[in-house]
Amino acid sequence: MPKEKPESFQQRWLSGYTLGAIGILSTFMIIIFSTVFMPMVLFRPSPSGRGNDYTVEQVADAHRGRQIYVREGCFYCHTQFTRLQDRGYGPLVQAGDYNYETPHQLGTARTGPDLTNEGGRMSSQWQKAHLVNPRALKPGSIMPSFSFLSDRDMNDLVAYIQSLGNKRTSKNFVEAPDEYRDTTDHGKALLDRKTTGKEAVDTNSSAAANAGRGIYTQNCAVCHGLEGWGNGPNAISLEKKPANFSRPFYKQYPDEFWFYRISEGVPGTRMPRFGEILSEQQRWYLVAYLKTLQKDQEVVISKIDQLNKAEQVKLPVLTDQQYEPHTGE
Amino acid sequence: MGAGLFAAAEFAMPDLVHNVPQLSMPHLRMWHVNGVAIGWLSMGYVGAMFHMIPTLCKTRLWSERLGNFSMWAWNLVMVGAFCTLLNGNTEGREYAELGAILDVLVALDLILILYNVYRTILNRRVQKLYVSLWYFLGSLFWFPLVYLIGQRTFVALPGLNDAIVGWFYGHNILGMWFTTVGVGMMYYLLPRLTQAPLYSHGLSMLGFWGIALFYAPTGTHHILQSPVPEWLKAIAVISSIFLLVPVLTVLTNFFMTMKGKWGMVVTDLPLRFAVTSACFYLVTCVQGPFQATRWVNWYLHFSQWVVGHAHLALLGTFSFILTSAFYYSLPRLTGRDWYSQGLIRAHYWLKFLGFLLMMTSLTIAGLVQAAGWAFGVPIDQWSLQIRPYWFLRELSGIMIVLGQLIFAYNAYKSFYTSEPAVVLVKPAPGKTQEVKA
Repeated sequence: MPKEKPESFQQRWLSGYTLGAIGILSTFMIIIFSTVFMPMVLFRPSPSGRGNDYTVEQVADAHRGRQIYVREGCFYCHTQFTRLQDRGYGPLVQAGDYNYETPHQLGTARTGPDLTNEGGRMSSQWQKAHLVNPRALKPGSIMPSFSFLSDRDMNDLVAYIQSLGNKRTSKNFVEAPDEYRDTTDHGKALLDRKTTGKEAVDTNSSAAANAGRGIYTQNCAVCHGLEGWGNGPNAISLEKKPANFSRPFYKQYPDEFWFYRISEGVPGTRMPRFGEILSEQQRWYLVAYLKTLQKDQEVVISKIDQLNKAEQVKLPVLTDQQYEPHTGE
Repeated sequence: MGAGLFAAAEFAMPDLVHNVPQLSMPHLRMWHVNGVAIGWLSMGYVGAMFHMIPTLCKTRLWSERLGNFSMWAWNLVMVGAFCTLLNGNTEGREYAELGAILDVLVALDLILILYNVYRTILNRRVQKLYVSLWYFLGSLFWFPLVYLIGQRTFVALPGLNDAIVGWFYGHNILGMWFTTVGVGMMYYLLPRLTQAPLYSHGLSMLGFWGIALFYAPTGTHHILQSPVPEWLKAIAVISSIFLLVPVLTVLTNFFMTMKGKWGMVVTDLPLRFAVTSACFYLVTCVQGPFQATRWVNWYLHFSQWVVGHAHLALLGTFSFILTSAFYYSLPRLTGRDWYSQGLIRAHYWLKFLGFLLMMTSLTIAGLVQAAGWAFGVPIDQWSLQIRPYWFLRELSGIMIVLGQLIFAYNAYKSFYTSEPAVVLVKPAPGKTQEVKA
């Protein structure tokens, strides 16, 4: 048998199927590198302070409740991130909100509502009753009953639900977030558009307030009431009652804060994000109107007959000018 | 290996559909997903590979004992999964719910299988590697890696990174395992069933490298609207659309191979399953890139449409091709013909019609839901309107499970029927009989 010529490096490693195998693996490694390891290195959001930090002592129950949430697979039907187009689920999430969420509970399908800012929206008793018998509280619901949970599990789970989104509520009630104030470029641009240019709105003028009135009637009155007393027809069914704008408390609200509340809604309540459906100009008109609603002193109803005295609903006379309340013109 | 296939079938079948929103639906869902993905499809795939790879290499499996061992190990994992998942012992990561011990077992098992297959291919008696072997080998290289990275068993990544890696896994268990092995099986089955040569080997290689390049980075399209980095989303969307290239290449190849042979689906039942699978593959892979684009995703995400899409891939495409492989290879493995052709037909129609019903109901329900989410309609207002579709889906589930039970019964009778199996393979016109004992 003639002695075979030893294979060269090229023949041995860079030909045929070995090359193929190397190709398969290296292609895949490049992809793993770029889509798995690179994000881990490049994408490191610093904690925004708006997400729950389960490492601290105060939320120990909520921490355990989160394990129940994971164990019972709540995330198969409930998501935990708000999107631009979502209404009524509170402020948008930021990348830094999720630093302590492991395993992540973002979820993929919304067979049930989003829970990003669920905390405080309903009372704990409501949550508990809903977990035991969902259909009793929400007739059309297909949520399974979790009556098999032990008392402790149930309480912790409710504690967890009530902690969701709590950090996104503004502690300082008269200061809008940075992106609405002139401390940031974004806020500056916003206020510039408000004061100058074609869409400028003088929020102290009665013309703007008049324009805002129609927008208010169409969008807000159903919960906040025609006169802003927080007694619209929907208010009956809400756990967190809508704000009563007649309170003098609201006099301290600066324009930006009103604007922020209207645009992003109020976490923990049913207040939707009107930034999605009203234009900037319309929201400023609304701000102008809302600023006119405060009374000089708190109005307290002390007698039941005062409460029952239904106000006549005065429908505006329909004229050409008032036909399009949304445009405010 | 027949026992392995059958065990695989037996195992996950009772749970192929458990979608009735009942008491502990989330637990059932964990088991359903893992039972289908790890139990039914993966085990069936490995079984089919253990048959196809030696056949393509014209040699025996390197070690039958190792093969049997990995089969039992995998079944042990499934028993563990059954016990843990239904009790809620989960890691809480979608598609990666299995606990640490089971994760390690699956990974070890995969490596054993890879080693076995690799040695078999080294022992081959044909020089060229057929395209199916490329797919099988590629998948067996990729999948253990994907599995190990994706399970995140021993690491705790901060929230969004966890999600990124999670969806890398969630999509690549499909892309680098179910798709690649499934397509490899199709490449094996179609030419054999039609007795026609493959249309183009060049195209098949193009398809292979296309899948290898474009499938793996697509995972992030599942979290397209969450605050993950934009560049990652861009990579995911672009590769999702580029996926059309390998998909259309592969399907051109299949359909051109079928040229002039379409009539055979009337009599040849395994072929009928395979062709149905190829057609659903076309649908699912056109739907996929379409819904991965930002604007469509904006509207459709979070809805049952996506669930329908997932079933289209796993049930419509890969379950069908696997069933085709069962029907093709079991007579060749056991030397016994199928107990009843009528039952195969019943299985086909139950599964096919059941699946169409499921797909339709999920898609319509998804559109209603998507409209609800997109226009801010409270869930209380539309949840009642999609109830009919839940019932339709349940009905479709019953049909599919019934079909699978018929299949299991048929397989059981074919194995253990007391009559001596004389007829080997029903002769189809112009078909040479080759029987592997």
